Amino acid sequence: MDRFLFPKWANSIVSVLGALGGVGALYVLGMVAFGASPETTDVGYQPEQPLPFSHALHAGKLKLDCRYCHNTVEVAGHAAIPPTATCLNCHSGADVNGVVNTVSVHSTSTKLAPIRESQATGKSMQWRRVHDLPDYVYFNHSAHVRRGVSCVACHGRVDKMETVTQVKSLSMGWCLECHRHPEPNLRPPEFVTKLDWVADGDPHEVGEKVRKELNLNPSTNCSTCHR
Amino acid sequence: MDKKYWRSLNELHSTPGFEEILHREFPVAASEYPEGVSRRRWMQLMGASVALAGVSGCRWEDEKISPSVSRPEGRIPGVPQKYATFMELGGLAESLLVTCYDGRPIKVEGNPDSPQNRGSSTVFAQSETLSLYDPDRAVGVVERKEGTRYARDWQAFLDYSDTVLGQARQGGGAKLRVLADVSSSAARKNLQEKFAALYPQARWYDYTANSRDNIYAGSKLAFGEVVRPHFDLSKANIVVCLDEDLLSEHSAGMLHTREWAARRDPAAGEMNRMYAVESRFTTTGLAADHRLPSRSVDIGFYLAKLEAQIQARLAGKTPEAAGDEYAAKVLAAMAEDLVANQGAGLIAIGASQPAELQARVHKLNEQLGNVGKTIRYSKEPLATDLSAAEALRKLTDEIQAGSVETLVILGGNPAYNAPGDIDLVSALSKVPHSIHLGEYEDETSLLCKWHLPKTHPFEQWGDARSYDGTLCVAQPLIEPLHDGKSEVELLAILCGDKHPVALDLVKEAVKGSLDSMAVNASWRRLVHDGVLKGSALEAVSPKVKELPAAKIVEAASEELELVFYISPQLYDGRFANSGWLQETPDNLTKITWDNAAIIAPGTAKNLGVEFGSVVKLILDGKSIELPVYVLPGQAPNSISVALGYGRTAAGLVGGDVARDVKPVGENIAALQSKAAMNFAVGLKVEKTGKEYELAITQDHHSIDAVGAGEIHGRVGQLVREGTVSEYKSHPDFAKHVVHHPPLESLWEELSYEGQAWGMSIDLTKCVGCNACSVACQAENNVPVVGREQVLKSREMHWLRVDRYFTGDDVDNPGVSIQPMLCQQCELAPCEQVCPVAATVHTDEGLNDMVYNRCVGTRYCANNCPYKVRRFNYFNFNKVYEDPNRKLQALVLNPEVTVRHRGVMEKCTYCVQRIKAVQIDAKNDQRPIKDGEIVTACQQACPAKAIEFGDLKNEKSLVAQAHASPRSYAVLAELNIKPRTAYLARILNPHPSLAKPDSEGHGHGEAHAEADHKKTAEKH
Repeated sequence: MDRFLFPKWANSIVSVLGALGGVGALYVLGMVAFGASPETTDVGYQPEQPLPFSHALHAGKLKLDCRYCHNTVEVAGHAAIPPTATCLNCHSGADVNGVVNTVSVHSTSTKLAPIRESQATGKSMQWRRVHDLPDYVYFNHSAHVRRGVSCVACHGRVDKMETVTQVKSLSMGWCLECHRHPEPNLRPPEFVTKLDWVADGDPHEVGEKVRKELNLNPSTNCSTCHR
Repeated sequence: MDKKYWRSLNELHSTPGFEEILHREFPVAASEYPEGVSRRRWMQLMGASVALAGVSGCRWEDEKISPSVSRPEGRIPGVPQKYATFMELGGLAESLLVTCYDGRPIKVEGNPDSPQNRGSSTVFAQSETLSLYDPDRAVGVVERKEGTRYARDWQAFLDYSDTVLGQARQGGGAKLRVLADVSSSAARKNLQEKFAALYPQARWYDYTANSRDNIYAGSKLAFGEVVRPHFDLSKANIVVCLDEDLLSEHSAGMLHTREWAARRDPAAGEMNRMYAVESRFTTTGLAADHRLPSRSVDIGFYLAKLEAQIQARLAGKTPEAAGDEYAAKVLAAMAEDLVANQGAGLIAIGASQPAELQARVHKLNEQLGNVGKTIRYSKEPLATDLSAAEALRKLTDEIQAGSVETLVILGGNPAYNAPGDIDLVSALSKVPHSIHLGEYEDETSLLCKWHLPKTHPFEQWGDARSYDGTLCVAQPLIEPLHDGKSEVELLAILCGDKHPVALDLVKEAVKGSLDSMAVNASWRRLVHDGVLKGSALEAVSPKVKELPAAKIVEAASEELELVFYISPQLYDGRFANSGWLQETPDNLTKITWDNAAIIAPGTAKNLGVEFGSVVKLILDGKSIELPVYVLPGQAPNSISVALGYGRTAAGLVGGDVARDVKPVGENIAALQSKAAMNFAVGLKVEKTGKEYELAITQDHHSIDAVGAGEIHGRVGQLVREGTVSEYKSHPDFAKHVVHHPPLESLWEELSYEGQAWGMSIDLTKCVGCNACSVACQAENNVPVVGREQVLKSREMHWLRVDRYFTGDDVDNPGVSIQPMLCQQCELAPCEQVCPVAATVHTDEGLNDMVYNRCVGTRYCANNCPYKVRRFNYFNFNKVYEDPNRKLQALVLNPEVTVRHRGVMEKCTYCVQRIKAVQIDAKNDQRPIKDGEIVTACQQACPAKAIEFGDLKNEKSLVAQAHASPRSYAVLAELNIKPRTAYLARILNPHPSLAKPDSEGHGHGEAHAEADHKKTAEKH
């Protein structure tokens, strides 16, 4: 009975396959490196906003609480970019009669013109989103800030930023890191918006205590974030 | 209980076609792209179901945030709000609660405060969000002059109406006519009176294709006045339905279903018993304990027999023993039950039956003492002097005689659904000034000089009354998208008010019902609640007059009859452009995207036609061609065809001849005549030799039992049924239908410490109304795939309602239904085969589907014994990435991911709803209450057959249901530990008709004993 024998040239296949394998391995490595690089994950993303709003001034120097503007953060998924009306609380321009509110700040500043225009035309401000999660991720702010995860944990020291910049990768691995070991990022919920808060003692122990008090068991189920 | 179960005649007879379906998990290769005409249709379709919200596949997209300039008080971006409103069909309101997400309506639910539906909703209501954003809706005012279409604006119309109505007013409106869709709105009534005062000679006609004229005429005959009957099924031990779909198509169907279902719990006391005598298989027939198929024309014959039986029994005579004939036995049982339950039974007769029979049923109910107990009467606010068909005929005659100069058509689509012997179409083109107000530029608009865009029910202020008379108020949930005006606004314009404020008109109209001391406060309350408590119609107690002696019509005639019925999916055709409804399988026939001539097996044989052959139905010289659907249980010699199909100007989904889109189905209204709106005898059927493939979902997803015999055996294990007597002797009979050795897992079993979500579905209560299925589609962004794809069994419904016929008699089978959805198995077979961990388990027992990981191997669907996984063969959402489709994209639920091509999907137990409640509860540091999480299907269910909750909480309704002796898990013998339990269906047959429960519960008693011992040992 004839036996099937590989022809001699078949030997070269091995080396070709080896080479391909090598290239493949390099490719995978390259892709992983590319995928994880800050450039890809957008760390450092700093889009220019329609007007140069300074968090460093408002939240840092003037010590406005985050929730003065982002007032839905404790009750809703979105931290809600404030409506124009919030800006106008301090920065209103002249009314129809040309009278300027005496407490109004920078009522004629050209930099604030877009705000006054939005007020006059009724058209929304077009802010550019800095921290942008994919559409298949359902992140809920209230679920985090009510459990002692500070703004600073994900957004960094916004109170020191002239222009808001993305400082964390916001990748799934990064989310899971905290969901598995939340302690370093936990603090008593009353201090979540105090960005310069420092733990009194070992941060890990403080976090551990908060975790126990609030009975926090962050879930790592897929459906926690993906629905 | 060796019942035989089968899903279709194909299956029963094991045709080669069925065998093929059975052996192919995915009937057609994925690479087959639709071609030719079907391709075009398919592409259009994709444009009509669902859309992709902000398509941001790419991370580097520059996303804008546009906050409000001044955020309204109480509005939190991303937090859904619910508003009460209603939708009106046939002049009767269904109160609704609509979920709005950042100001756009995305989901419809029933209003829990409404005494009519108490939170449940119909398929029509569910689909309203899709129609709100339908791109085929009429945009702006249109004038048609000499065959050319001109886009106009409201100002142009106002100028035009000034001239035309000014002329009309000079003549007292003698040549002015209004044809209006029926409505119970008080605001409209007020304006109608104002209109009549302004144009004293003008005439107003009400028209609806779903008329209840026979009911009005019947009560007039019986009582001398028109009254509306109200049924209280909670007090009825015996319910007899004569050609009446009391549970579904009746305007109070949801109330009836809930009250009927509440009496279907064998553990909670005596069960009710329902009889149905009907020609076509309805939801009520499906739910009935005994069903007698009869031609609609023969209902009178059976009613006479029933009367005779009852009279004899009431007179104390022993009736002659019932013959062997099934019909006689059923009638005898019915009579016996009704007489034994005097004051606790009811007889209902369908609106299709003539007035004389209606009157005799009133008489019978009175004699049996049911009036005032299970039946209550009230005034009928919708009664008109002319029947709908008569009104249409009169109008047509007037036009033909040249006595109509101006015609205003308020809503409705009479040019499409006028009966065949009323030639409204040619008449309409003779009217010099015709104005149509409608949501779509439909068949009627095309014949009118002006088309005015009508507001969607969610865009307007309005008022109407539900069947019991409860006042409902609608508030606009969104600004009119297409510059529309409501009926009330247009009427006000016609009455000379150039800029009507609908809010004021409605408020003024309902003022009488408000608290006169605090009008504003009670108005705000009413708008908030959507319904006014205690505003139901007052009961009246009319007495039945002497009725003329009944004429007994012999039923012996073998003549064929044709029955017209309002489509349970498309109603009178107004929902024809709704992809969701077109693709909803009919609960009995499982047909999607078509209507068919439904014929009984015996009749089909006599006629020599088969399933799928196209026949010509000829009635009074008019004919129409339709494919045959052979339905077991259809009355012999009766052919039923649904109205509402064959729209030629519905849109890209329902058919639009002008844009080269073929109509879906055929318009059977052409065979209707004013004398025979509901059924007609004298039908001739001719074979055409053509074949047509109907898109039917019934044989899809065949559970993998091989061979017909195996299937029959297996189905009895899936749907477990018993009778009350079986239940009494063995309450847990359902658990012993399947025997298996002790189960051991090959896999590591998870332990669940927190919540354990579970579901239960009570098959005794389920009537298969499809509300759950459409609710699921709306909630979970389930795409519509179109007829061609359904033919390839690629429909995407996460929740399907399986229908099985039972018994050996193809002419009168039983029917079992089973809603089938992902069972969230604890040891899920799908998870075991996924190579990329795209389907994984949560610690709360959910079987998560991770779309982003899925690479589309479809192994999971292959390994799923329930066949509930759905694969996206195409990117069904692609068309929506088109900037022109942005409006449609608004229908999507932003809380649910939109799936892409090549991804598997399935029921998630509405995980987005679970998470919403969980986050809320945790924020408040409180436990989740039982019943706080409501899945979309559970919410919609009028029978309250579905429970959902935490199985760990023993007090939860779902845990109690799981603990019920009737509870069983489908395919539990595979040791997959499904989280969904079914409660066995218990029927309550009359003892004389019950099949002897010869074999107990499917096995010998000794076997049962042994089995009990075995389980005892295990513990």
